[in-house]
Amino acid sequence: MNSSLVSKFTRRVAFGVPGDKALPDDPVAWANAQLAVLPPMDILESDGTRRKDLPADMRLLWEMDDVMHAFEQHQRAERLSFEKAKELSTEDYQEYRERNIFTPFSRLEHWKEVQARETTALYGQAPVFERFWHFWTNHFMVAPGNQNNDTLVGPYQRSLRPFMLGNFREMLWHAVTHPGMLVYLDNNRNTGPNSKAARQKWTKDSINENLGRELLELFTLSPKAGYTQKDVEGATLILTGWRDMKPDKWHKGQKLGTHFDFDRHEPGSQEVLGKKYTAYFRPSGKLEDLVTDLAQHPATAEHLATKLCVYFLDDAPPAAAIASVKAAFISSQGDLPTVHRAVIQACWTHIESTRKFVSPETWLLQVLTLTGTEPPRNIPLTKGTPGLKTPFLLGDLGQELPRCPQPNGWPIRSTDWISKEMLDRRLRVLGVLAEASRRGGKGQQTMRRIVAVSQRDVASGDPTAQLLLKPEVQADTRLAWIACLASPSLLWS
Amino acid sequence: MDRMSGQPEFAVELMMKRRSFLQQSAALASLSFAGFPSAWGQGQAGKTRLLVVLLRGGMDGLTAVPPVGDAQYNTIRPQIAVQNTLRLTADFGLHPKLEAMHSMWQAGQLAVVHSTGFQYTGRSHFEGQDIMQTGVMKPYASSSGWIGRAMEQAKIDSGVAISIPMPLILRGHDKATTQFPNWMPTLRDQDLNAVVNMWSADPALSPYSEVIREANLGKAQGNMNNQSFQDARSMRGLARTAAASMRLESGPQVGLIDMTHGFDTHASQGAEQGSHADKLRDLDQLMATFRTEMGEQWANTVVLTITEFGRTAAENGTNGTDHGVGSCCFLAGGLVTQAKVYSDWQGLAKSALFEERDLPTTIDVSAVYAKVLERVFGLSAKTLVSSGVLEHKASSALNGLLGV
Repeated sequence: MNSSLVSKFTRRVAFGVPGDKALPDDPVAWANAQLAVLPPMDILESDGTRRKDLPADMRLLWEMDDVMHAFEQHQRAERLSFEKAKELSTEDYQEYRERNIFTPFSRLEHWKEVQARETTALYGQAPVFERFWHFWTNHFMVAPGNQNNDTLVGPYQRSLRPFMLGNFREMLWHAVTHPGMLVYLDNNRNTGPNSKAARQKWTKDSINENLGRELLELFTLSPKAGYTQKDVEGATLILTGWRDMKPDKWHKGQKLGTHFDFDRHEPGSQEVLGKKYTAYFRPSGKLEDLVTDLAQHPATAEHLATKLCVYFLDDAPPAAAIASVKAAFISSQGDLPTVHRAVIQACWTHIESTRKFVSPETWLLQVLTLTGTEPPRNIPLTKGTPGLKTPFLLGDLGQELPRCPQPNGWPIRSTDWISKEMLDRRLRVLGVLAEASRRGGKGQQTMRRIVAVSQRDVASGDPTAQLLLKPEVQADTRLAWIACLASPSLLWS
Repeated sequence: MDRMSGQPEFAVELMMKRRSFLQQSAALASLSFAGFPSAWGQGQAGKTRLLVVLLRGGMDGLTAVPPVGDAQYNTIRPQIAVQNTLRLTADFGLHPKLEAMHSMWQAGQLAVVHSTGFQYTGRSHFEGQDIMQTGVMKPYASSSGWIGRAMEQAKIDSGVAISIPMPLILRGHDKATTQFPNWMPTLRDQDLNAVVNMWSADPALSPYSEVIREANLGKAQGNMNNQSFQDARSMRGLARTAAASMRLESGPQVGLIDMTHGFDTHASQGAEQGSHADKLRDLDQLMATFRTEMGEQWANTVVLTITEFGRTAAENGTNGTDHGVGSCCFLAGGLVTQAKVYSDWQGLAKSALFEERDLPTTIDVSAVYAKVLERVFGLSAKTLVSSGVLEHKASSALNGLLGV
């Protein structure tokens, strides 16, 4: 078997295989095995154990109660700061916000989640699973937005993981009704104009189409399905009253997390795609039925199959690849492990004729994996903490996680990641990493991996493989990194 | 000029020519001293330039350009109405942080369009920022931007976004490029040679190997220190970066600076001081630096601000303002023909507001952009519509803007 094709496949469905480790004998089986169980996630050392030198109170929150308490703490800190705004000078106020809000609820919060995401991708049990998880967090995007939702972002994204072993309908339901999503897309303000809360003027809120529109446009049907503004309005009304529940003094004893507020819900029936959704005795059932119908709609299968193939295979994926993934989705009624296996198979079948220029995050993980290099360890405990930090290094490459600018996620097309500035930055990052590896005393060991990668992974027609055999290239760490990792063979996967 | 060491050779030659031009123009200026007269650009054969500044988050037009002549203004904004404004007209003032822009006004180089915005009224940041860049009033309906399409239509040779990704507004034109201050060490000759060698056979990558070489050649090898990096990323620094290439005769005709998300002032936005004032100070510094750095090419330039929507007319319950519709738009530079506030002001009475809450859109801001495209690229309003570059609704209130 051609090792450069196997290598390309391992980079495409995961992040590659280190230069000093063997490529899998049966690539498809190797990948499929990683999609069958839920791998644990944490901030990891390179040996796969939990990192020990973290601040004592730093941990990933998994329980909904803890997540909603953290969210409320952030909100409370924001409210307090508005009071402070009146008494402090501009400079003191900025410093106050830096210390009490930005550091704990934004910089450190996001560092923790990004570090966990990247170290689990590198040192966790199933990089293929992580790669697919990256797809789903991008599909159901929740990013820091303008409702102080920072502490919801990571927990929400991680909460999608178990659903990758189940049915798409369940993942869709979970994503749409998770407080992370309800807050991010303003559905916590989405209130029926004829609801009790609106009629009695308990609130000035009215309908907000943000989530209703994305439910149809991004998550399921896509605009190609030809729905109309009326359908968006119908979905929006069905979503009225679905809110987040934080711990507060008015709702003692309430279950925290997702909350259906009947008083804000639009009564009566609504229509989406010509079907009437009626409450009868279970108003929250309208959304359950709508989510079920959208998950099973053929346009959803088409949209997801196309998106998966664009993400993993090529900007213009072969029609046969899309058809096979779509068929797997429909015949399994949205069973995600079945769908993922179909994507794996399509990746392997079409490995020679397709190629992707991946996002900066995926590319950086490939580089770190192949060279056996650790991502930056520095914890930004204060604004001035020196040294490289993982989220900011990603920012230097043009993808500062988790700050995705739009709910449609980071671009998935190769063309969106190719600009002069982006390419220049990838080259320079290689120089920075090479220099850090040399200074860290790992230069020799890394160089052996790089030479191995250039012989094993680089296509035979690529001049790189020859270049790396030259002693003067091997003697120049920076040049060797660039000559190997910026070769077309490795920039594309 | 140490800056010259960073230029490729052909640019050095052009700069030499420019220098003698500078001497001539300095002589001319001394004859009629009043700064450069605003009519300077029109008689020149010099290439016109456009700098676009994206003000993301939704700028509050009533804070940037307070309607001091409107009796309602102080009533509906008891906490956040701006006092001590810089005088523009009897009806409008300028926020006190916009000092440099006020000096442009006094020199006849600043125009304001007020109570303007898009036909889109959805009040969503994402949709709004999409349509402000595509120029298509249906969100996510276009993958190219109105400036990119205009550049393509007018066969403009290049544009530069001071940004890492290529912003949507410039897409649709394959010569537009990107540039952003970078702390990372530049590439060495041997690195660049390897890249050119490796990428030459790859059709998607080969167009970039030479521009990357140009961007790296002759620059300092060491790391940019933290302070100079922070300074380079400030609005002043970005303006310097944009002007450094735009002022060259061979430089890009279009530039773009992205001020991300600071204008979304839902709470405690302040008045003369505060978070909104801070953003305006940044904008003012950007404008002042760009004017200085463009040198005599300022006369051939217009700077245009773009924001996705305006805000509620009245203040909300948290001393801020919520997403609205109409805002104001600034045009600055030597291509501005007259210091004037272009407006069809309806007043701030509740009945005059959009849905009784937002400053309304009385002038389609796309028509303002059309004027800019006509002046800078020579594309007529008719061409813009017929070629699908930019739909817009003409407004007589804009007559005379930029002299077109």
